[in-house]
Amino acid sequence: MAEDLTDDEERGLELITREGGIHQSDFWKELDVSSRKGSRIVESLEEKGYVEREDTVYEGHNTYLIEPVLDPADLDFSMLMAGDMLSPFVGDEEIDANSDKFSQWIMSLAYQ
Amino acid sequence: MAYEELLEDPVIQKYLHELVGPTGMPVAAAPPDGEVTDEELAEELGLDLNDVRRALFILYENDLASYRRLRDEDSGWLTYLWTFQYDNITEKLEEEMHRLLDALAERRDYERNNEFYLCEQDSIRFEFGEAMEFGFECPNCGGQLVDMDNDRLVDAIDQRIEKLRAELNRPPESEPEAEA
Repeated sequence: MAEDLTDDEERGLELITREGGIHQSDFWKELDVSSRKGSRIVESLEEKGYVEREDTVYEGHNTYLIEPVLDPADLDFSMLMAGDMLSPFVGDEEIDANSDKFSQWIMSLAYQ
Repeated sequence: MAYEELLEDPVIQKYLHELVGPTGMPVAAAPPDGEVTDEELAEELGLDLNDVRRALFILYENDLASYRRLRDEDSGWLTYLWTFQYDNITEKLEEEMHRLLDALAERRDYERNNEFYLCEQDSIRFEFGEAMEFGFECPNCGGQLVDMDNDRLVDAIDQRIEKLRAELNRPPESEPEAEA
């Protein structure tokens, strides 16, 4: 994980990434820190660009929804592959889910 | 050469190959640092100028290269100075992952909602309605069509959908994001 984070921030980011998104009111409870400390952790993570917050209403009160900021470079691009075939939609504007090319791709996925 | 680390990824190589094809691949696989003209590239790589231009244009169409034009003051000729913009590749591939996920979800519904019949001789698959129209005989070879189980396909699709959703942080459509 990133080097510019404190232990608490690292734990916090791990939680947010694992959940894919969490309300701030749950965040500090899950992390077992005070609400003030929780909000400081999130603010710092937001400042460093690891997470985003948006206002939301949750269980009847105002809070933030915290979501991880995904860096596309961290994605596992091999998920575009089935065997040695690349997704047939690359370079095509239209997506035809019933095309022969896609059928072959799926066959390769199932029987590789 | 720039972007060396990026170009080590076999999926990225495949992606570029898919876009520019085999003749364009020497251009796409060796992006120079900074600006370059098409003539310089052709000479350096020992390629036909038209092949170089075609590859550059495809990269341009896919937001992976840009150019600016310079007019030579003496001859009045235009020179195109190209810059490779491979920083955009990861974003492009992310987009492709989203598109693949959408297509897989659509295909899964189709696979689940239909029954299929197979001609084992010709490896052709028919939907139930089609098979019935043909009297459960292959229109190609006349052989008997047999009931085909697509569980394995659906399983494979399901698994890949799940992986993609987790990776892209996209919740399943049937379950709304904000569950209290």
